Amino acid sequence: MSEILVADRLSKHFGGLIAVNKVNFSIMADEVTGIIGPNGSGKTTLFNLISGFFPPTEGRITFFDNEITHIPPYERVIKGIVRTFQLVSVFNSMTVWENLVLSSIRFKEKHVSLRKFFFSSAKDKEIKENCLRALKLVGLQSNAQALTSELSYGSKRMLEIGIALSLNPKLLLLDEPLAGLSDGEISEVIDLLKQIKKNFTLVIIEHKISKIINLVDRLCVMNEGSFICEGNPDDALCNPVVRECYWGKREIS
Amino acid sequence: MGQDKLFPAQNAELPGAFENITLKENHAVEILAIAVFFLLVTPLLSVHRVTDFMIFCIFAMSFDMLYGYMGRLSFGQMLYLGTGAYGCGLFIKYINGNPLLAIFAGVAFAGLLAMLLGLIIVRTTGACFALINLAFNHIGFFLVLSPLRSITRGEDGFGVSASQIGSLNFGSRPIMYGAVFLSLLLVFYFLRRLTSAPYGIMIRSIKEDETRVRFLGYNTFLYKWLTFALAGTIAGLAGALTALNYNYVNPNAMDVHSNVGVVFACLIGGAGNLYGAILGGVIYMLISNFLAIYIYRWEMFLGFSLLIIVFRFRMGVWGYIQRFWVHKLIPRFTKKEAI
Repeated sequence: MSEILVADRLSKHFGGLIAVNKVNFSIMADEVTGIIGPNGSGKTTLFNLISGFFPPTEGRITFFDNEITHIPPYERVIKGIVRTFQLVSVFNSMTVWENLVLSSIRFKEKHVSLRKFFFSSAKDKEIKENCLRALKLVGLQSNAQALTSELSYGSKRMLEIGIALSLNPKLLLLDEPLAGLSDGEISEVIDLLKQIKKNFTLVIIEHKISKIINLVDRLCVMNEGSFICEGNPDDALCNPVVRECYWGKREIS
Repeated sequence: MGQDKLFPAQNAELPGAFENITLKENHAVEILAIAVFFLLVTPLLSVHRVTDFMIFCIFAMSFDMLYGYMGRLSFGQMLYLGTGAYGCGLFIKYINGNPLLAIFAGVAFAGLLAMLLGLIIVRTTGACFALINLAFNHIGFFLVLSPLRSITRGEDGFGVSASQIGSLNFGSRPIMYGAVFLSLLLVFYFLRRLTSAPYGIMIRSIKEDETRVRFLGYNTFLYKWLTFALAGTIAGLAGALTALNYNYVNPNAMDVHSNVGVVFACLIGGAGNLYGAILGGVIYMLISNFLAIYIYRWEMFLGFSLLIIVFRFRMGVWGYIQRFWVHKLIPRFTKKEAI
């Protein structure tokens, strides 16, 4: 297994607040990495740094041995780093399949000519089939024509994951994919993640540790902007430092 | 790659329902409908008036690309209309009387200006975008009014008399009508193709959430700039046609206050739809042409109706027609078929 993404002494300061503090971090190919930690421990900030939402204060990030520290987010997506957002972020005013048009013609980038992008109908057979194939994967093909704002929160989450997958990521960052979902929806998402983990490298931020413990190969625990523990999920959870920051001192004693 | 494993069967069966519901746009029918509409209203009004209306509709469509589709409200679209008008007029006055070349010159001037200013303007959003456009419009207005007076004749403006090419005389009303009519249909067709292509989905996505589009791997700046330049170019076409239609150009063509008209037209017609822009353009022109006969300060009426639209009828006239069509008429037809 090789390292596909390496973060070297990565830091982010917001004024006096140090959100991410000199983190050294690497992601292996074809591995599912889980990142857990209390609120405000810097998990999402770390995602934002990797995906290019904002630049780091210091440190550098390399992806497949190319430095990507200062390139804009859209170029990172082209290189293969795709993320989802903590609050579901889909285009509510459009129909479900229209949501997938931009992402599914992106992965076919080299085949879609400019003429097609500007002048052929978005209802073109090829584009439509690509959208539909992605929708089928996340189980939304019967809703293709529906307005996205009419979907349930869980379906929107599935749609967002579908959009991310249709970009054909080399590294997929999922920011709390289970947040705000009902138990039924959670198991749907977990099933989907189990299905896609064979083909994609995933990094998952999650609060519901018990739900993802069977999914992840490696668990990293963050607290106050740095990694306090990383490794095999069971070992990480048994680590006394982790237990202290997660469940407090009293329970341990 | 993961993709191949994920979507293995190229010919996997796809639900047929999707194929049936999605009606492909039939552009020929749409163009015919618009052509018939304008031909029908011509005898009711007058050739000159309808020519004027159609020019305004072209302008409204250019504004709608920016505001309705991309969600960027501009208070300075008149700058490009004025640039088109001055470009066309000055070309005829100083270089060549050929009206077709002059139209091209006007469009090119406006397009180039929009490309240049767009580099700065599209970096902003919201109120800042609206006001920076307004500021540039003011600059343009005072440039033609005063510093460039020796060329533009300042407040007085100058006459534009295009020369005749063969039997094509742009001074004659029916020929001008025909030229504007063709331009309107062409612009409509061009924009309709663009907005129903993936590019249309792109600019609508930018309207809703630009950050999200960046995280889909697109350089949104490029597409915003392109849309801005396109809107400016088409406004320039409207300007060039205005110059030829009135046979003179004065700073009114770049008047900052006229921006209200096009904003109003888009809102009343229904922003984010080319039909809405055309319908709104016609409604606005009807109000400004005919209400002014009966009411001295007709602008007050515009103000009140704008308030009512903004608070009560956000979708505009076309939005309500569309909703009626989708929710009332289509279910009725399909029910009959089912029986």
